[in-house]
Amino acid sequence: MGALRLVIVALLAAGIAAALTGWVLNQRQISARRAYSYYPSPYSPIAPLGGVAGATPAPTAAETPNPLANDPAAVAEGHKLFMSMNCAGCHGYDAKGGMGPNLTDTYWRYGGTPERIYESILNGRPKGMPAWGLALPPQHIWQLVAFIQSLGGTVSSGMAQAAAEGNLPDKGQNKGASDQQ
Amino acid sequence: MRCLVVAVCVLGGSISAAAQQTPASSARTSYTLATASFAGAGKPGEWTSQARDYANTRYSPLEQINATNVASLRLAWSFSDGTQYGHEGGPLVVDDTMYLVTPFPNIAFALDLTKPSPSVKWSFQPNPSPIAIGKACCDAVLRGWAFDDGKLIYNLLDAETVAVDVKTGKQVWRTRMDDPGRGVTMTMSAFTVDGKVFVGNSGGEMGINGWLAALDVTTGKELWRAHAVGPDSDVRLGPDFKPFYPQLEGKDLGVSSWPANMWRTGAGSSWGFISYDPDLKLIYYGTSNPGPRVPAQRPGDNLWTSTMFARDPDTGMAKWAYQFTPHDEWDYDGINEAVLLDMPINGKMRKTLVHFDRNTYAYTLDRTNGEVLVAKNFAYQNWSSGFDMKTGRPIVDPASEPKPGITLDRVCPPDLGQKDWEPPAFSPHTGLLYVGVFNICMKLTDHEVSYIAGTPYDGMEMTRFSVDGKDGDWGAFIAWNPATGTKVWSLPEKFMVMSGAIATAGDIVFYGTTDGWFRAVDAWTGKVLWSQKLGSGVIGQPVTYLGPDGRQYVAVAAGVGGAALVQKSRDGFPPRGNTLYVFSVNGDTIAAQDVPQASTAAAPAAVTPQ
Repeated sequence: MGALRLVIVALLAAGIAAALTGWVLNQRQISARRAYSYYPSPYSPIAPLGGVAGATPAPTAAETPNPLANDPAAVAEGHKLFMSMNCAGCHGYDAKGGMGPNLTDTYWRYGGTPERIYESILNGRPKGMPAWGLALPPQHIWQLVAFIQSLGGTVSSGMAQAAAEGNLPDKGQNKGASDQQ
Repeated sequence: MRCLVVAVCVLGGSISAAAQQTPASSARTSYTLATASFAGAGKPGEWTSQARDYANTRYSPLEQINATNVASLRLAWSFSDGTQYGHEGGPLVVDDTMYLVTPFPNIAFALDLTKPSPSVKWSFQPNPSPIAIGKACCDAVLRGWAFDDGKLIYNLLDAETVAVDVKTGKQVWRTRMDDPGRGVTMTMSAFTVDGKVFVGNSGGEMGINGWLAALDVTTGKELWRAHAVGPDSDVRLGPDFKPFYPQLEGKDLGVSSWPANMWRTGAGSSWGFISYDPDLKLIYYGTSNPGPRVPAQRPGDNLWTSTMFARDPDTGMAKWAYQFTPHDEWDYDGINEAVLLDMPINGKMRKTLVHFDRNTYAYTLDRTNGEVLVAKNFAYQNWSSGFDMKTGRPIVDPASEPKPGITLDRVCPPDLGQKDWEPPAFSPHTGLLYVGVFNICMKLTDHEVSYIAGTPYDGMEMTRFSVDGKDGDWGAFIAWNPATGTKVWSLPEKFMVMSGAIATAGDIVFYGTTDGWFRAVDAWTGKVLWSQKLGSGVIGQPVTYLGPDGRQYVAVAAGVGGAALVQKSRDGFPPRGNTLYVFSVNGDTIAAQDVPQASTAAAPAAVTPQ
């Protein structure tokens, strides 16, 4: 009975996750198509002429905000998940880093906006961050993002361009800077 | 000609230094009469394995550098390898070539010492998977590499072992040993003897299943694998297994000393150094802490974690075992090395094994059977109120036992022990061991954890601090009498000492500090004779060798990282680095003009425009 319920919950969660990520990716493709629509396929250049290859695209208002941001209950749930999913084991009980990076500063290897953090949790990252998309439903991932946002070091959409360009001031959290890898 | 000049200088220097010798340093009788076999060492001027010999003495018979001239050590050359993680290994010198391997991504370099150095002969890039970076508990390090049968053999962080042809720099074989996705990494130095290479896994914080394996040096084929947890068949315990203490006798204790099935994720990894006694035909190595690190979740002795094994290298079958910390509650791995020494104890000559455990007892064991001969504290601890010599068990102070959700304000030592993996050195002149130690404690709160493959199975929330309060020292370097279990001298250090130590026939001991000092010390008195601040903290292992020019060099890597990073918020803690520093008397070394074929390396001559 318990097992069956777990399976149902897992299937439901996977469905929601797929729908949501599909939506996120779809939004991306739409904006990408907008940028390159001047060049008829298959002759479209890899990078738009006159642009800089590999430049980080400026975040737009289309970035998905965290629907649970600033919700105290979500932050509390996110903290619980941070402990029970062993996030604390890597990132530290204070989230200031250990085996994994500091989550309380403005230095984010893969982007520090809520959407990027969601992606990092959902899909994992190459240096050992596990992908939680199969284990956690979107609501739980947003709760985790809400908890991380509550620690004060994330990047708001408005700050994302400055963060991508490395122009956010360090608040002194990375003393010694030995752990910025 | 040049050597002649050096000899005269040494002679001249020794007269003035002799006049300055303290009374203590002229009392030149060994404290212990301890000796070691030194089998497995290369030629006197070489350094062919991490510990230099099978007994793990890290003692060199070179004596060009001694108390008379050590103050004149200057930089001869340096080499930067461009990688960023902690540099915990020591270079090997075989014939006229030096071999180095970097931390992740584990690039190997061969340097030609006959030319003005550094002169790279070849480099080899194995490209391990970056997933391993985030699975390594304590930085993406590598503690050393082995040379055997014309091959450089070492572990990759992503749980493979690789052999590289030392002539060509090409891969000979590569064997996958485990799955980094499940939290297994490999950081220990490979160790070779009798055509076999011995390697173990890391991941004691990740709920892995610990093992040590033997591979064929020629082919890389696995010959046997002995686990630290599980049934006797996994642990390779058979009729020849004869532990000294009765609590270690019985069938399948690696299962029955755990709650049901918890041995499967019970850790007991092997990531320290291995030693070998060619007469007894036994290898010695230790196993890590149990998993999870929260003891409340795993009542029982949790065999065979935090344990020393003596095994037959041919079969992997254990001859004896001894558990340093039964039911470890504080992450006191038993992986620290065994130094094999013969010495009289209470008037009787014994074949011993000396081991400085993270739990802060320094053990002198009978290496034929695992009996505890001496167990004394080498630094401050407060988890154990004494030692029961009858049972071989430390007595636990209940006040230091963690319970989930309850904070203990001061447990000493912390998870890192008062000595981590950093290896000691032995001098047959003094009969003493020299070792870098810590002087730290932790505030500890345990949290219950669940096993999720590939994530920490950990549960210890900690902050660490000096035993002596806010401004207290975090480290020291000590000389230890292993026959009596007493400290002979101690050098206090502001930062943890996590470098290896070496001792030489010149009666000099070398070590480095995590804030970047590299020091030469009088082996008898502990007097610091020379110190040089390097570009980063030292967690590497120094070596000394004779160059093709007949000069004695001392080399050490400066590249702080590893567990030393627990100090990163302290003022004065250095940034990372990746430089090997090589010193000689006056910095003398092979110059370009000494080597005709290296003329392209000489300084360019100015050219006047036409």
